[in-house]
Amino acid sequence: MAVSARHDRGSIKIAPDAIVCEECTLVGEITIGSRTVVHPKARIIAEAGPIVIGDFNIIEELVTIKNRNTDSSQKAQVLIIGNNNVFEVGADVECLKIGDNNIVESRAHVGSNVELTSGCIIGAMCNVSCNEKLAENTVIYGSNCERRFQRDKPPAQGLQIDFLSKILPNYHHLRKPPKSQKA
Amino acid sequence: MATYLDVKLVKYVCSCSKRLPVCRLYLCRHCLKLRCSDCVQHEVDTPYCPNCLENMPTSEAKLRKNRCGSCYDCPGCGHTLMTRASNLTLPDPEDATKTISKKMYYMACSFCRWTTRDVNIEDQSVASGAWQDQENEHAKRINNLLEHYRKLAQKEKAEKERKKYVKRRSHMYYTDKYGLTSVAAARKKTLSSISSLSVKDNEEAVSELEPGKRVEDFAPLPDDIFTKPLELSKMTCMEQRLSTPEFQPANAQKMFPQHKHLLIRKSLRCKECEHNLSKPDFNPLSIKFKIQLIALNHIPEIRIGGPAVFVPNKETRVVLTLNNPQTFDTIVKLLAMDDESGLTTAKIELPKKEMILAKRNDLAGYDDNPVKQDFNDDPSSIAFRNLNKVGVIVKVTPEVEQGDVIVSLTMQHEYRNTTATVGTEDTEPPVVWIEQKVFIKLGTIAEKVK
Ligand SMILES: [Zn+2]
Ligand SMILES: [Zn+2]
Ligand SMILES: [Zn+2]
Ligand SMILES: [Zn+2]
Repeated sequence: MAVSARHDRGSIKIAPDAIVCEECTLVGEITIGSRTVVHPKARIIAEAGPIVIGDFNIIEELVTIKNRNTDSSQKAQVLIIGNNNVFEVGADVECLKIGDNNIVESRAHVGSNVELTSGCIIGAMCNVSCNEKLAENTVIYGSNCERRFQRDKPPAQGLQIDFLSKILPNYHHLRKPPKSQKA
Repeated sequence: MATYLDVKLVKYVCSCSKRLPVCRLYLCRHCLKLRCSDCVQHEVDTPYCPNCLENMPTSEAKLRKNRCGSCYDCPGCGHTLMTRASNLTLPDPEDATKTISKKMYYMACSFCRWTTRDVNIEDQSVASGAWQDQENEHAKRINNLLEHYRKLAQKEKAEKERKKYVKRRSHMYYTDKYGLTSVAAARKKTLSSISSLSVKDNEEAVSELEPGKRVEDFAPLPDDIFTKPLELSKMTCMEQRLSTPEFQPANAQKMFPQHKHLLIRKSLRCKECEHNLSKPDFNPLSIKFKIQLIALNHIPEIRIGGPAVFVPNKETRVVLTLNNPQTFDTIVKLLAMDDESGLTTAKIELPKKEMILAKRNDLAGYDDNPVKQDFNDDPSSIAFRNLNKVGVIVKVTPEVEQGDVIVSLTMQHEYRNTTATVGTEDTEPPVVWIEQKVFIKLGTIAEKVK
């Protein structure tokens, strides 16, 4: 299997001040930015191409972020996630471009053809999979995936990240950045 | 939990002859009859707000149009709005080099993320109570109309009372033959006084109302209505408009927080004996009931033990489980029932002997060495026993070629009549027999294999 062959620890880059719990699944070529928190049981799978995650993101339990190749004729693309995004428990994200300050709520699904710009909120259990680029500050909510635009971007989760950075190491083993990176 | 999932399979016949699952029924302990929500009296105990759980007297609730004064719903999605605080830094009026921070409050919906700031409602300096309501431009007209109809109703009432009065007087007139003249005079007097008082005053007041204005024509649609692209995010949908019938905003910018609707706590009353069947605790915080006579707590519950295959005119063995909710060993008899409704599609052979249902014991499951009780069961009619449950073997012969297999039976069981011994605690409440009619849909006739 091509996937397992690519699974070597050297290709995972974690910023020194990121909090990545050891019980999460990281597969493939992954870069995790500064102050980003990855909870246990989160799955980040760079199957078709690399995944680059920016700074100050929170990736909660059972979240799946997957770079999946939907069209084998196309070249592998990089899945890029910006800064200050929150992926709540059980979110399922396949989209290749995510900007800043987005929230993907619990059990929401974002398909691979969607592009999240910034300040977007995908509500709990909402499924977005059309080929589209969501405008800034779009809110999708409710069982019918109704849409609206909000005036302000959701606030950054600075306090929550501080709290998690303090609490998580008390109860979980953390993934250390590989030595080769420290130099 | 077959009681709550497949509720439509086993139906008990209510005293009003409706067939309902046992979990929807009440047992009046005074009449010893089943009651359903269609044949009891529903009474409003008190309106309360489902968000702040504040009780409100009925008269006040009416004045406030059955809405809470301090809780709001989101105009976009109907979810309860939450008050959020934000810090505002202002320059200190006394010392220009310093700033003071002030808490300002706004309301936000945690579901669709609508905020009062979205529609430019100013933040408030206090957390609650300062939100201004929208002014309804038709409020004056509506109040005038209300006043008018109130007067009409008053007039009607006065007339009705006058008629009653006249009738009674005339009745007395005939009986009181001997004091004829004085009565007649008195009658004339009262009659004239009533008519001058009530009718004249009201006629004057009632005629005040100015008639409604007819709308002659509308402004024509703007020319760009067909060419301008729609911006759906700036429009409100039908539901959002109709949630405030007095304003019906078409533009999302005109949406306004809505006062939360009150709910009521209601109690149920038996129409026959006028005793309460269900009465909730007065405090809306409490989920307890003062009185709650649901049938599930008093009547043995019948469930279908397992699926069976039915073939026309062929006997099939079926296990029904009987569950005893009462805290004493209960004797139960299953009897055939004369079905007048014609719903029954199969013959049922029931155990001839009466049987004992063990009492319910909530702690029995935790007992390490449960005492095995011996009920001298007949193995040909009792399939199993487990705590307060018993499996009864019945034999069913479908009498139709296709469709549902429905059987009916009468269940007689003991019931401890607790109302008979109110005040006398020494004696055990007397045991009475009550009878329930039950329809059971066991399944459908198997498709013939071709
Ligand atoms: Zn009824
Ligand atoms: Zn309230
Ligand atoms: Zn809302
Ligand atoms: Zn009654």
